[in-house]
Amino acid sequence: MEIPRLVAVLLMVLEWTHSGLPSPLRPICDPRVLDRFIKEARDMEVTMRSCSDGCSLAEPLPVPLTSVDFAVWEKEDAQKQAQEVQSGLWLLSEAISVVRASVTSAMLQSLLDNSHSNLHSIRQVIRSLNFQEYMPPTGGTAHEETWRVSSMPELLRVHTNFLRGKVRLLLASAAACRRDGS
Amino acid sequence: MTMLRKTQHFGLLIFFLSQKASLETVDRHFESKVDLLLNVETENPKCFAEGMRDLTCFWEDEDGGSADQYSFTYTYENEKSSECKVTSQPAEGAKTRYFCHLPKVQHFGDLYLRVFRDGLQIYNRSLLINLLFWLDPPANLTVTQTGKLGQLKVTWLPPPLKYMENSMMYEVRYTAGSTWKEKVVRESTEITLQGLQVNTKYKVQVRVKPDGLTYDGFWSSWTLPVSMTTAPKDVDPLILALCLIITFVLVLLSLTALVSHRSSLQKKMWPLIPSPENKFPGLFTVYGGDFQEWLGHSGGGLRPSPAFFFFEELPAMLEVLSEATPVPPRSVESRACNLPESGCKENEEDLQNAESGQEGWQPTPPAHWLMKHFQTLQQGPSPFSWSTQLESKDSYVTLDHSFQPKPQETPMDDISEESAPLRVLFTSAEISASHSDLGSLPQSSRSGRLSSESSLEYPHSIWPPKGISYASLTLADSGVSVDYSPMNSIRTAAGGIGGFYNNDYKNEIPKPNEPLSGCPIYSAC
Repeated sequence: MEIPRLVAVLLMVLEWTHSGLPSPLRPICDPRVLDRFIKEARDMEVTMRSCSDGCSLAEPLPVPLTSVDFAVWEKEDAQKQAQEVQSGLWLLSEAISVVRASVTSAMLQSLLDNSHSNLHSIRQVIRSLNFQEYMPPTGGTAHEETWRVSSMPELLRVHTNFLRGKVRLLLASAAACRRDGS
Repeated sequence: MTMLRKTQHFGLLIFFLSQKASLETVDRHFESKVDLLLNVETENPKCFAEGMRDLTCFWEDEDGGSADQYSFTYTYENEKSSECKVTSQPAEGAKTRYFCHLPKVQHFGDLYLRVFRDGLQIYNRSLLINLLFWLDPPANLTVTQTGKLGQLKVTWLPPPLKYMENSMMYEVRYTAGSTWKEKVVRESTEITLQGLQVNTKYKVQVRVKPDGLTYDGFWSSWTLPVSMTTAPKDVDPLILALCLIITFVLVLLSLTALVSHRSSLQKKMWPLIPSPENKFPGLFTVYGGDFQEWLGHSGGGLRPSPAFFFFEELPAMLEVLSEATPVPPRSVESRACNLPESGCKENEEDLQNAESGQEGWQPTPPAHWLMKHFQTLQQGPSPFSWSTQLESKDSYVTLDHSFQPKPQETPMDDISEESAPLRVLFTSAEISASHSDLGSLPQSSRSGRLSSESSLEYPHSIWPPKGISYASLTLADSGVSVDYSPMNSIRTAAGGIGGFYNNDYKNEIPKPNEPLSGCPIYSAC
């Protein structure tokens, strides 16, 4: 009777000590995870492409640059890449939140909610790959390259291309995944 | 030195030639793509990317212009526009193709193109380069046989493009000669074709395209066909032989088991129902099992096969004796065997002597022959000791009309089961032959009267006759027919042996108190 009690107490103690340390998330290296997000973003972009009226934004929203020059990208430091990606994701999340607030259609709202949660999930994936978390200062992302979009289809297009390009490249070349794979 | 230089020059020449050759092959691919794209792409300028770091745009014009007339500008998002150098190439039909190879390529971002001719914009287009891949067909296409019938394994190498390893989609097509069948393969660079015909030559081709999610583009051209023959049915003979051997062994085993247990199986499957029918001729067939009747008509029943009689061994003696002139074998009778069990040889001999001694006792040659014949016949077992008694009795049986069947009823109970069959022989006639008991047979020098007297003297052994039943004892081989007229009993002796059987010959089961010796039939009683 005493031994099980002891074991239980021991387990509880271990659990507390264990939880005290930041437990590293298991690295999410499966490319299909991001591919699913990309697919959803692309589908939404295609859906919204037909939207012409009532799709312009009240004010231009900053969005990250999406184009990737491989030569340049490969030269970049991994951390810098992670920073760039995370700030871009943050910007997109902000923009989508703003658009969601101004949208009345229920379907659109659900789609935008989905996009927002996907972006959050991607941030979690990045965190799982041991990238240092980075939050752009609220003051502005001046040092980051941004440009502004004025319509929703454009926003969604940027969203899709950002995921296809920089985010995907970052995840594909993550060191955590490479070590596991090799 | 000059030699070295010469070799150097030679080497350089070879190098350049090889480069040119490779370029030519590349150009051939390029040319084919251009040709195809001209038909496929509707927008102008038509652009495609062959790798990760290039983009080729072109357009076609029929005016005999030169490249200088055109200017090509491209602008990436958030950047300034740049100019691309235009080159021209003559195409068939007095057309000219103008190309522009972008020096710098950026993916995942909009590219804005503009084509000017003589300062005027003729084309403009916005595109994403990562969606315009036109890859080369996969390399190292190999087709091999698998171990199984009707299968072929197809493998190839993916396009060697960085970042695009997981984004490829392949299409495999194969034919046995007439129609092509296609299969799409994703996320894998091999496939096992199944359901193919055996021993057939198949051609296989593969092409590749980005899967369309992150990267997209056009289907590459088909690889050069690779042929392979599917495996013939050579595995089957082995399996067939093994199956045959196993079947053979099993059959052998089952046969052996069957043969070894045949008797038990037979007993189980076709149990032998013993039937005494063969001992009672006509009992079941004619009289329907009515034993009384059968007994009463045993004369008729005695007719059947000679084999029956041979089995019983009885007729021989009767024949012989009866043939003799009616010298009553009385003496013989008197000397008849008293002991049923003991050998009757003495008596037989006596009988024989008596026979021979008696004048009238002249066995005809046929009788001899018959005797001999019966001797041979009687080699078989004589199951009933008292049958021989009957033999001896036979000698005494001479019945004639004077003989009246005794109405005496001998208890049937005395008849043992064993002796029952023998009754068959003699049912019809009451054996009036007397045995030794009847020593008091009166002298019957007259023909035919012996029997009656003897019968009189021998009440015990007389079966209750139903009437005058006539001798039905027949010698099978002689085919003697029973002469039922009492008068003819002995007078017909001359006619043959048939005369013998005028006796009323009743089956007599020897009673225990009646000593009847078992005389072997072949001893002349």
